[in-house]
Amino acid sequence: MDSKSKSHETAINISETESNKGKSTAAATIVATTKAIPHNQKGGWRRGVAIFDFILRLCGLVAALAAATTMGTTDETLPLFTQFFQFEASYDDLPAFSYFVVANAIASGYLVLSLPFSIVCIVRPHLVGARLVLLILDTVMVAFTTAGAAAAAAIVYLAHNGNSTTQWQAICQQFGDFCQQVSGAVVASFIAAVIFIFLVIFSALSLRRH
Amino acid sequence: MKAGAVELGHASKVTQRGVNRGMSILDLFLRIIAIIATLGSAIAMGTTNETLPFFTQFVRFRAKYSDLPTFTFFVVANAIVSAYLVLSLGMSIFHIMRSRAQARLLMYTIFWEVAMMALLTAGASASAAIVYLAHKGNTKTNWFPICQQYDSFCHRTSGSLVGSFIGIIFFILLVLLSALALSRR
Repeated sequence: MDSKSKSHETAINISETESNKGKSTAAATIVATTKAIPHNQKGGWRRGVAIFDFILRLCGLVAALAAATTMGTTDETLPLFTQFFQFEASYDDLPAFSYFVVANAIASGYLVLSLPFSIVCIVRPHLVGARLVLLILDTVMVAFTTAGAAAAAAIVYLAHNGNSTTQWQAICQQFGDFCQQVSGAVVASFIAAVIFIFLVIFSALSLRRH
Repeated sequence: MKAGAVELGHASKVTQRGVNRGMSILDLFLRIIAIIATLGSAIAMGTTNETLPFFTQFVRFRAKYSDLPTFTFFVVANAIVSAYLVLSLGMSIFHIMRSRAQARLLMYTIFWEVAMMALLTAGASASAAIVYLAHKGNTKTNWFPICQQYDSFCHRTSGSLVGSFIGIIFFILLVLLSALALSRR
């Protein structure tokens, strides 16, 4: 059976032998003709999905890198100071923000490293192993990025609104620029997490066998 | 020769079906453990209520999960994820009975699992940030560590985080299983 030939029809000959335990006792030769699907058409939609996957990876890279740099370059000093209270805010004052920068940096690094894998999946649309690896690593990255974004979002919410039970003051009323920059970084990180979820869906879509 | 090849093909098909069934049973097992973990987290956080034995006219010394919106989100997220896991138990049992799992069903499963995992991770990590603040406080923002006063509240919230993180790990394993089943189909 040759499915790689240029002809669109194949003839399958199955002949019954004496030791065949099959149920049919009818004609000795069964001839079947099928219209074989051309090889490149079968890989067509997979290739489209893989190209879209690559483009989505580039967008995710931009989002994660933007989030990491926006958070990493926060440094606001208020023009007043006292002996006891420091009026300077940067991202490493809060461990949640430090983790945020690290998580988004790791996500950007992973996306850069996975670009060659994505290109391989475009060139060879029927590769299963690479897609499976990409799917699992994308899932882990969803968890990572969402964790960083959510932790930073919790702190930002606290900074905007404060809390009466725990007597935590809302610092955004003083550090306005810092708050704005940090909130923008959190939004970019959530966008990166959503892009990762779409990447997982696309990898699962192209893992399907028909 | 040909009969031998046919028999070998039949035997490998039987082992393939056995492996599929084994994966479905493992899937069910992981789901049950994840249900216990997330439900335990939701209940542990939801039943926090600590009142300190002294009070003044102006300040209430009482801590509940609903005093912090992040913890409320945590309880809601864990409840939603537990409900999803209970509903998907039925789907998992269906996969076990039908050894040939359908591709479309597996794809929906993967999508919902990843979405629910994202929700769970968001709730767990936001609460982790707040719990860290409650333990250590922050000098720059003048936020006082409340764990020194609300001891059992702190212990309860920290403990409920563990179940949630276990649930996240199990979700990653579930996605891996579903992707493997999809690629083998």
